Amino acid sequence: MEYKVEAHRIMSISLGKIYNSRVQRGGIKLHKNLLVSLVLRSARQVYLSDYYSGVCLNAQHVEAKEWELMDGDQEKLIPASEDSLPSSTDCDQTEAAEVPEAPQPEETLPSLAVEGPEDPCEAVEGPKDTSSSEPQAEQEGSSSVDSTSDVSVPSPVVSEPECEAKQAKVSSLDCETDSNLAMSAEGNSHQPPKAHSCSNRKRSAEKTASHDSPVKRTKVTSSNADEEEAEEMDTSNVSNLITIFGSSFSGLLSKESSEPEAETEESDSGSGQICCDQMLKNLNPWSTAIVAF
Amino acid sequence: MLSPVLCSELSALEPEYTEADVISAVEFSQSGEFLATGDKGGRVVIFQREPLGEYNVYSTFQSHEPEFDYLKSLEIEEKINKIRWLPQLNSAHFLLTTNDKTIKLWKVSERDKRPEGYNLKDEEGRMKDISKITSLQVPVLRPMDLLVEASLRRVFANAHAYHINSISINSDCETYLSADDLRINLWNLDITDRSFNIVDLKPENMEELSEVITVAEFHPHHCHLMAFSSSTGTTRLCDMRSRALCDQHAKLFEEAVDPANRSFFSEIISSVSDVKFSHSGRYLLTRDYLSAKVWDLNMENKPVETYQVHDYLRSKLCTLYESDCIFDKFECAWNGTDSVIMTGAYNNFFRMFDRASRRDVTLEASREVCKRRAVLRPRRVCVGRKKRESDVSVDSLDFRKKILHTAWHPTDNIIAIAASNNLYIFQDRHSHHGHHAGHRLEQDRPPQLQDAPPQ
Repeated sequence: MEYKVEAHRIMSISLGKIYNSRVQRGGIKLHKNLLVSLVLRSARQVYLSDYYSGVCLNAQHVEAKEWELMDGDQEKLIPASEDSLPSSTDCDQTEAAEVPEAPQPEETLPSLAVEGPEDPCEAVEGPKDTSSSEPQAEQEGSSSVDSTSDVSVPSPVVSEPECEAKQAKVSSLDCETDSNLAMSAEGNSHQPPKAHSCSNRKRSAEKTASHDSPVKRTKVTSSNADEEEAEEMDTSNVSNLITIFGSSFSGLLSKESSEPEAETEESDSGSGQICCDQMLKNLNPWSTAIVAF
Repeated sequence: MLSPVLCSELSALEPEYTEADVISAVEFSQSGEFLATGDKGGRVVIFQREPLGEYNVYSTFQSHEPEFDYLKSLEIEEKINKIRWLPQLNSAHFLLTTNDKTIKLWKVSERDKRPEGYNLKDEEGRMKDISKITSLQVPVLRPMDLLVEASLRRVFANAHAYHINSISINSDCETYLSADDLRINLWNLDITDRSFNIVDLKPENMEELSEVITVAEFHPHHCHLMAFSSSTGTTRLCDMRSRALCDQHAKLFEEAVDPANRSFFSEIISSVSDVKFSHSGRYLLTRDYLSAKVWDLNMENKPVETYQVHDYLRSKLCTLYESDCIFDKFECAWNGTDSVIMTGAYNNFFRMFDRASRRDVTLEASREVCKRRAVLRPRRVCVGRKKRESDVSVDSLDFRKKILHTAWHPTDNIIAIAASNNLYIFQDRHSHHGHHAGHRLEQDRPPQLQDAPPQ
């Protein structure tokens, strides 16, 4: 937890430095900004890896209650529909099976994806150069979910949380899609509040449904989904950022509305500024906030 | 070991100073007779060594002015980043000065004779009444008070999209290189409208940028060899004979980073802030944030010597990051015989390392400590409890007082230390050149004089 606080602080300091470098005399110093962005990236990696291990423990309890509700609904639905049952109950069983395993950090990721859809989505738009071994490992996990075999979520290295969250999100969305269909088939309009925002992402879930060449799909999806998810998550994005970055961000928010014009001008000027902007957009998944830079 | 003695302290009388007075470049001429300093206000002050061994102001001129790039809406600072002297060919002296964008070649010459007896002008320069001229006279040269003039001879502009960080004159005395964050250009000293690009690190997609060039320097003897260091902690040696674009290095000097020491700031502290070839041309001296390393050009995988300059700062990296001190770029220097290396630190301390005996010394350059003709006492920084009264604890270090720029005379044991707006010149007590004048020398830095006659 100490690392999390430290990483949080370093991230806010780094962003402040990048912001200040725009107004200092002599133009943006490429060297210094490159170094600051490297620090920002490493701090973010540490922060996110710690973030998941911290939040997952809290999420486990709330999530368990949610699934209990859904289980209750499912039991009512059982006599009504038998076609859609197998897949939904399979999902429920596997999800329920996953819930008790939540205490372990790696395995809470699938449940986390349901609990906090905004956050993993943010984290998902991480560096595009995610390793190929991780998605494949997780794809095997999700395929095991579908086939209702023993849920043995492989324990990937915690340092690649973006990748895992992505895959886990995909697998849980697959299940959720099924469960949504099951419920809607019964005319039951009950949907967990978060599923509503997740349903917008059915498109992206379906894209990655196939397990062929998972790596390629993942990357393509993340870049395509970048735009749409960014727009949807605008308000939640910003509110999360506020909590993460604290006071150093409040000034940015007020300027955000006035910045876009300045941003377009600046993006055309100065090779140092161009590369700085582009670097930031690449490194930081929260593209809407960083547009302010 | 050296026992430095203060021989000249050239500084403003008032302790308060403006940002423009902060010295940003220090360089001895190739013979050591002259010392040039550049400051953040774009001024250059040249000192000349007197027969008695002291350095006095020789010339002052405004080298660069602040500019505004209208296309990019960027202000271009007038701060002098580097000064390099050309080898002396005749009675005049030539030096290159550069700011972030423009390199200038200056000629500094003396005039001690003046033509007198013009036909059309009188002594004050006013036109004579033509009707009063009855005879023709030939002007003669008469001696006058020594006048030192600095005149601008060449301007090398518009060749760098990024900030110039170094210039280096080739041993062939015809060409020189200039390096910015991503590119290195090769110039001919006589040709200002074109330069050749010899290193280009700019990636196709700027988002993939991973390293920048920090310093570049030509080999002292081999005109085809040049070295440049990067922000990733590597130093590359390039041979210009192999191909026109030297992106492929001939040698790569990089030491594996100890994974136990990894932190958020590992990349920053490994960034090389200065590179200097030894006078012999056999070794390379590189300076990163916490250490100075000597490399043998024949061995790429690790340095032959590593000197910890201020390793006690390793636990304070986060604080230094917040205060921006971690981005300070310290220079380093060799002595004339390549037996001692020197570099600056914080709290106005500078350090010297004797390579053969492995002894090192920490000295302080400040007004309170430096009295003329007094030998500097070695200082010590202690991490824990003070063992001696003269020790300085890590927590009481003043990080605003940093010695970034140091220079060593090419042959003698004379060093120049720049501490903010003050310039200290120390001489070895045991040097046979050492004769100290009796009076205490304190001078204002001349504010806007074009020529400063020597006293």
